[in-house]
Amino acid sequence: MSASTLTPNLLQTVSTQFYSLSQFPTPSTSRISFNRKSKHPISSKSASILTLNAALSDPFVLQIAETFEDSLSSSSSSTPLPLQKLRDSSSESLLSLSWPTRKDEPFRFTDTSFIKSSEIQPITNPPQDSDIACISSDIHLPNLTIVDGYIVDSLSGLSGLPEGVYVGSLAKLTSEGIVKRVSEFVSNFEGDLFWSLNGVGAPDLIVVYVPEGCRVDGPLHLRYCSVRGSDSGSKTLPVSNPRVLVLVEKGGEVSIVEEFVGGDGDKCYWTNAVLEVIIGEGATFSHSYVQTQSLGAAHIKWTSIRQESASTYKLVEFSSGGKLSRHNLHVQQVGSDTVTELSTLHLSIKDQTQDLHSSLVLDHPRGYTNQLHKCIVAHPRGQAVFDGNVRVNRYAQQTDAGQLTRSLLLVPQATVNVKPNLQIIADDVKCSHGAAISDLEDDQLFYFQARGIDLETARKALIYSFGAEVIDRIPFAYVREKVKKDIVELLLEPATVKSVV
Amino acid sequence: MPSATTITAATMAHCSSSTSSLYPKLLSNSTFRTKCTPIPRLFTISANSSIHSTHFCSVSHSATYRRSLRRIPVVSGTLTVESTTLYSDEKDGKKLLLEVKDLTAVIAESKQKILNGVNLTVYEGEVHAIMGKNGSGKSTFSKVLVGHPDYEVTGGTMIFKGQNLLEMDPEERSLSGMFMSFQSPVAIPGVSNADFLNMAYNARQKKLGLPELGPIEFFSHVYSKLDLVNMKMDFLNRNVNEGFSGGERKRNEILQLAVLGADLAILDEIDSGLDVDALQDVAKAVNGLLTPNNSVLMITHYQRLLDYIKPAYIHIMENGKIVKTGDISLASVLEKEGYKGITTA
Repeated sequence: MSASTLTPNLLQTVSTQFYSLSQFPTPSTSRISFNRKSKHPISSKSASILTLNAALSDPFVLQIAETFEDSLSSSSSSTPLPLQKLRDSSSESLLSLSWPTRKDEPFRFTDTSFIKSSEIQPITNPPQDSDIACISSDIHLPNLTIVDGYIVDSLSGLSGLPEGVYVGSLAKLTSEGIVKRVSEFVSNFEGDLFWSLNGVGAPDLIVVYVPEGCRVDGPLHLRYCSVRGSDSGSKTLPVSNPRVLVLVEKGGEVSIVEEFVGGDGDKCYWTNAVLEVIIGEGATFSHSYVQTQSLGAAHIKWTSIRQESASTYKLVEFSSGGKLSRHNLHVQQVGSDTVTELSTLHLSIKDQTQDLHSSLVLDHPRGYTNQLHKCIVAHPRGQAVFDGNVRVNRYAQQTDAGQLTRSLLLVPQATVNVKPNLQIIADDVKCSHGAAISDLEDDQLFYFQARGIDLETARKALIYSFGAEVIDRIPFAYVREKVKKDIVELLLEPATVKSVV
Repeated sequence: MPSATTITAATMAHCSSSTSSLYPKLLSNSTFRTKCTPIPRLFTISANSSIHSTHFCSVSHSATYRRSLRRIPVVSGTLTVESTTLYSDEKDGKKLLLEVKDLTAVIAESKQKILNGVNLTVYEGEVHAIMGKNGSGKSTFSKVLVGHPDYEVTGGTMIFKGQNLLEMDPEERSLSGMFMSFQSPVAIPGVSNADFLNMAYNARQKKLGLPELGPIEFFSHVYSKLDLVNMKMDFLNRNVNEGFSGGERKRNEILQLAVLGADLAILDEIDSGLDVDALQDVAKAVNGLLTPNNSVLMITHYQRLLDYIKPAYIHIMENGKIVKTGDISLASVLEKEGYKGITTA
């Protein structure tokens, strides 16, 4: 029973990528432009690539890329080098990527046609004062507020950070040393179409830099707000491409809370965010990710983590917003003795899709990983998707990898598609995985009843506690309480929102 | 994290006291309950030889409409008992608490007959013990008394404090003063012991028309009971039975009994899995809760429990029936000669 027989899809993808790379080797200096009006002429080399790729390129993708490029050429006068590098490499990979369909394995259960059928409008300029008037200035410090992909200083507060820590736009980064480090890592990873689209469309690269041995107390709060959106039914979809790179040097320690908010009710927009994190040797990165965007929104998020030896990565995610919400999480181990803990809770309470595609790649010995994914679907047209891949490669001996997914379906027709999968090549490892899909446990309900608690209260308590198992892992009380309040409002008391807490 | 607990509890309390008009339709209409078979799958791969393996577990699940397991017990035969007169029945000035007559029951799923006509009468202040072989129906009987959905009553009557138990939901039975300590209580991850007890306590207060207690007031109320079962404070912050040892689970059941109080406490194998010290603690707690007005029905395999909690009556159960009733001396016969000695006698 070899891995190859059971993973035809995966191998296929790998081989296709290989094909495209070997076929079109491009020197990193060349520049590809989708925009014929571009200031920079297309070099003959890249022109030939364009032709070569014509058969493989997806005109729709090229069209989006072109609008993204148009939107940026007007605003950016001098692009910092790492950002330029990012745009170039992203443009290059876009040439061989096509818009995903249900026939592509990673999108088998996730329908992205809602984005495709809309008129995609890049948000071309930083928000105006009138746009941000509605954003609460009640913030947890230190805070960086990113509105539609642009940092808004007036809503941010970064005082109190230790010396040497940098949080802000790449353009304002003066330390050459840090710029150099950033360019070493920027876009070192091949994501999918959305990863590359973000690379082309990101107006700025936001950098969080924690120097060696530096410990940042308290969480750094990244608040992503989407303020520009269209009304439902208008068919236009303003898109923002926030991109953040976190670099925690050797022995450093930082906690980041990423919070995605924006728009009341059904406002339509597309947030296509990317977070890249490099966790140095012995460093610790604690990540809380809360997504409560509007129910008309498309939220596509990439989180790419690179873990050096003896580093620790802990993620707690809560996602309840978006008509389509997709989180791609990739954790790559590049050294031994790493610790990775992933805890995620998805709530699908309306006609919406919540999707987590995670992949954990272990290439070095003695890694410890533990993943818990939970979802609750409480709408007949609601859907949750989970594809959790853990790869324990040849040299990842003595790996301890655990994965568990539990889904709660609360109404008839509610759907969940889960695919936990382990691929193990190393021979001295401890791995486990499990999947459970159920309604609430009868035994547990009966235990409540036997103590005099009625069925409805018991159900609420159990639903709440199902989620609380994940939420309790959020290391910060203020985030925890906010999320718990959200769960109560969304799931338990939809009619009496105001009276709660 | 006391603050976290506090807020959770407040939320819970809120849940219990309010009813939303939207919510029941969406989530808890019992006829609409989706019963999806749980698919617990846990593969553990621990390999020392070379293994090249991939596990794919793909579950595509659309929930289907299925009838709830929670059934209303079916009563065959007619009930023409005038309950008030029954309750006023007295023996030596003691009121009748529980009267079970010709109770028969089947396992709901398989329809297998498991109780074949149980008769039992308990008066106030009495301690009863039911003993019997494995599979004789002892635990089933206790579960049927409290309305466990796995069993269906097919005949007979159960009257508790003059009320017909067969017409009552499990929570109503509990609120009317019946408490069963589970043989192996289920763990409820995510619900703290304090929250759970608070919810149960408030449900009772509400039923009695008394004010419900907030988490902080409740905490001090529970605190006084902790000593009774010899447990520490942090016991309350832990999730209900999650990661509890056998002894802790039993202590927790008795703590619940102490907090909620009961006219009739049904203790289903409260001694199983306990070491001597824990057994003494638990027995001491139970004895401490006994008053002239409340009764205990113990279910046990062993005489050692009876050394600590002294029953006035011992019933021997076999094949879903009580075949013999006697005083404490029956237990010593049992200890010496086994069930054979009793049932052939």
